Amino acid sequence: MRNEKRMERLLGYSLVAPAMLLILAIAIWPVIQSFYYSLFDYRLNDPTKSSIHWSYSLDLEGYLQNYPFLKSALKQEMAAADGQTKQTLAQIEQKLAKLDAAIRSNDQVARQYDKVNEVLDNFETPSDELKIAELDKQTAERLTDTVHDVVRALKEMKKAGELQQADKVVGLAEGLEGVVIEPNFVGLKHYKDSFSDMRLWKALWNTTFFTVVSVAIELVLGLGIALLINKAFFGRGVVRATILIPWAIPTAVSALMWKFLYDGQNGIVAHYFETIGLVDRMGDLLTTEAGAMFAVIFADVWKTTPYMALLLLAGLQTIPSSLYEAASIDGATKWQQFTQITLPMLKSSILVALLFRTLDAFRVFDLIYVLTGGGPANSTETISILAYKVMFSQTNFGAGSALAVVVFLCVAIISMIYIKWLGKDLLSDSASVKR
Amino acid sequence: MTKKAGPLFYVFLALFVFFVMFPFLWVLLSSIKPLSELFGDKAFDWLTSHPTLKSYVSVFVNYPFLRYLWNSTVVATITTVYTVFVAAFAAYAIARLEFKGKTVILGLVLAVSMFPQIATISPIYMFVKKFGLTNSYLGLIIPYTTFALPLSIWLLVTFFRKIPFDLEEAAKMDGATPMQTYFKIILPLAVPGVFTTSILVFIAAWNEFLFALTINTAETYKTVPVGIAMFQGQYTIPWGEISAATVVVTIPLVIMVLLFQRRIVSGLTSGSVKE
Repeated sequence: MRNEKRMERLLGYSLVAPAMLLILAIAIWPVIQSFYYSLFDYRLNDPTKSSIHWSYSLDLEGYLQNYPFLKSALKQEMAAADGQTKQTLAQIEQKLAKLDAAIRSNDQVARQYDKVNEVLDNFETPSDELKIAELDKQTAERLTDTVHDVVRALKEMKKAGELQQADKVVGLAEGLEGVVIEPNFVGLKHYKDSFSDMRLWKALWNTTFFTVVSVAIELVLGLGIALLINKAFFGRGVVRATILIPWAIPTAVSALMWKFLYDGQNGIVAHYFETIGLVDRMGDLLTTEAGAMFAVIFADVWKTTPYMALLLLAGLQTIPSSLYEAASIDGATKWQQFTQITLPMLKSSILVALLFRTLDAFRVFDLIYVLTGGGPANSTETISILAYKVMFSQTNFGAGSALAVVVFLCVAIISMIYIKWLGKDLLSDSASVKR
Repeated sequence: MTKKAGPLFYVFLALFVFFVMFPFLWVLLSSIKPLSELFGDKAFDWLTSHPTLKSYVSVFVNYPFLRYLWNSTVVATITTVYTVFVAAFAAYAIARLEFKGKTVILGLVLAVSMFPQIATISPIYMFVKKFGLTNSYLGLIIPYTTFALPLSIWLLVTFFRKIPFDLEEAAKMDGATPMQTYFKIILPLAVPGVFTTSILVFIAAWNEFLFALTINTAETYKTVPVGIAMFQGQYTIPWGEISAATVVVTIPLVIMVLLFQRRIVSGLTSGSVKE
């Protein structure tokens, strides 16, 4: 018997394992990585920042494309110059040669150094792994300082007209300026910057406003509809299908549809809104700040109220009608029945529906991205939209990831509040094994 | 259920149906208008006197719309089949077997299903880029696991729990191993639940926007939602074509909803109502 129990446990774990591994690898790990990225100045469009560096490193490709040529150019200049100029040039050349020796003093780096040289001699491009060599902090700082001094000295000599091929020499020296890759760890800087930027607060406010208003309207309307259709009537199938279609259609497609209906010149809904006086001019709907927010909320309410009604209707149908019969025999009014029976019995359905809808609304992206793009003047820019723009339009993955983490934390907090209200209802397996 | 519906109720019902369906109706009417009547004076006329199918033709001729439909179908189908397959084992174990940590696992699944997509997009984007999976089907199927797998597990657990335990006990008495019980008893009874789950996962994968927008940017690998959303050019928006495309994607949906409405409703409400 004990053995059998153990077998069952083992089987249980092995059946759950593949799904859990996938969830860990594809959902949980990326969230952790997002947080990790957010600690770095990580940008896709900047070659020195397009990956994460903890330590200093040297771009050997850049270094070797400049240093050997600079060396020979300096020698040429030395041969042509005399007196003070010759001495200065010799000093520079020596400085650089010492630096080169320092770089090569590390065996591992020296090996990479030679390999990259070989690759470059064959007119090929070295791989990223090969060309990036790790550098200790001291050498890296020395390299940066030396190159800085050399460039300054050469520029002065160029100004004084002491060089024959001034542009070439200065250009090669300047080419050495970008070869040191500094660690791009910035700690919590992105968070500090984001929270001191008005744009984040505006986006957070927009998201909260959108979420609270649209979910509240959806709850009230959804509950009303659910109460009304909670009876036997002809044509239930049609109504159910009607409810499901807005839910099933891709949000991006419905957003585009509403963009058409709201259009300032030929949108029918905009036209009717103007006719009944809801907006002053048709164009206001998508071009003014208040109009755009209203338009977004209206489209969301249209798409999700039916879904809310469906969830609440399912809850209503589990309330035994005997309760209402007993109440009406005791002389309870309809309103009393609603507040004393319906609402308490429906509490967990309402909370679950609210939880799902609140989280959905808080991470809204498709609807706003397609309908307004966050505009006009960022008036409908939610936090997800802002994070997306920073990541993919500005290609600033570090700062964008910080914003994404903010979204994640908000969602986690909202869930925790709801779960606390809901208690263990959501997860308890009441229908499960009781052996 | 004792209340009887009066005539006023049907008026309300008709209004409700009308309001919900109005955008579709208008888009359908616009899709058969000639281009000139989409703008100007006639923009607000309900019916056109010159119906035409030009917009429909244009959608398929001037845009790779058929390709979008195919891409969406491939991605959504593979995602559904593979996640439901993996989830079925996990859900069976969670619903039917005794082992420690079940509640924690289920809680984790629920938590992951609430993850905002934006929080996972940057690492996932870097991952698919590193492995050269941008503009490929696999490049969407892998990220789609993030929402499809938790959804499948969550739904299947509720369906598996509904299957009577007596059958399992009886099979055990007769000496069946847990795997035999699973394949011979549970799975056949769970087919409706698995089917419902598949429909919901398919719809979720079909509708996904953010991953598709960032990962598959090449025309030949775009999915329907992204494809249609990108119909709008820099300065002009081809409303005729957009209307026609919307109708084309909505009609199969309407048919599906009409055929499977009971299943979809049972799936949508299964997690939220305690029976």
